[in-house]
Amino acid sequence: MKPEELLELLKHALGGLAKEVTVRKGYVEVLVDADSVVPVANKLKELGFDHVKSVTATDYPKESKIRVTYHVSSYLREDLAKPILGLSVDLPRDNPVMESLTGVWRSSEFQEREVYEFFGVTFRGHPDLRPLLLIPELAERRVLRKDFVVKEESIYEGVPHRYQ
Amino acid sequence: MDVKAVDKVYVGNINVAARRARELLLGKLKLGDVIDWATTFSLWPVHLLTSCCGAEFAATWSPRFDAEQYGALPWVAPRQTNFIIIEGTVTRKMACALRITYEQMPHPKFVIAMGACALDGGLFYNSYNIVRPWEVVPVDVYIPGCPPPPEAVARAIIDLRRKIREKKLASRWLIEGWRHDRDPVKPADDVCKWWRP
Repeated sequence: MKPEELLELLKHALGGLAKEVTVRKGYVEVLVDADSVVPVANKLKELGFDHVKSVTATDYPKESKIRVTYHVSSYLREDLAKPILGLSVDLPRDNPVMESLTGVWRSSEFQEREVYEFFGVTFRGHPDLRPLLLIPELAERRVLRKDFVVKEESIYEGVPHRYQ
Repeated sequence: MDVKAVDKVYVGNINVAARRARELLLGKLKLGDVIDWATTFSLWPVHLLTSCCGAEFAATWSPRFDAEQYGALPWVAPRQTNFIIIEGTVTRKMACALRITYEQMPHPKFVIAMGACALDGGLFYNSYNIVRPWEVVPVDVYIPGCPPPPEAVARAIIDLRRKIREKKLASRWLIEGWRHDRDPVKPADDVCKWWRP
């Protein structure tokens, strides 16, 4: 299935639930509101998208939003697995809360934990929401947001200027 | 069999090898030297795979580079080992696992830090999630490289063996109860807050 055909299929299936369905360079993106993410995910699962490949987030500090993206794909239907489909949700940056999609796709559980610890996005209804890779002190600082600045370390720190 | 003829057989006769080892160890050396000698031939590393250096670590014990000829055999249980190779990057969460593994090992125990990440961060130099291994455990030998080839790992094992034999590390540790040459590089205790109750 070509991305354009998938676009038509999605527009027909989702109807008014999706805010925006676009295709660019073979990448189909479904942009939804935070309220309608679970119905849209259920619709996508009925279409045959049965697992989540990755959950990621992008920080837009100027627009004051965080966009959480689920890349979904299909094991059972090979034609649906060819194009890349992203299901995106825009959340406010100061209080990013959304419904968890673990009830729809169980494979998104660990990846939602990663988004939680790196971006501070809280998933309601997640069975086990705690930091996965980072220690708790570091997870509180939301290290992958744009306003987190790593302290620069110099290689020559403490070494006197011998080569001038 | 004539004893002199047997003496000329250098390879493959286990009785001759055992007799010579017995003469060397019990006839000429002290007990501490025997302990050092025994430790050098039974360095069993923990397989603590933290990063991509683990591939080279595995290749070191493959038939081509056969590091088992130095008496080292990778083992899974830290309570039955005396030697740890830090294979690559140590993240903050893995630092706790590394320290716990190190504490579980019976002494005398030795540490080799492998790869550029274990030296000073390497590829992840300016990162929020990196711990230098020398902040967690006292390191004996460093192996530079990204990743180090299997020859370098074998060389590091030989260096560690030489260090144990020449400085009498194992026997002095057993006699004195603590390894005093590691005192200046005593690691920071509270790396990942697991020290606190």
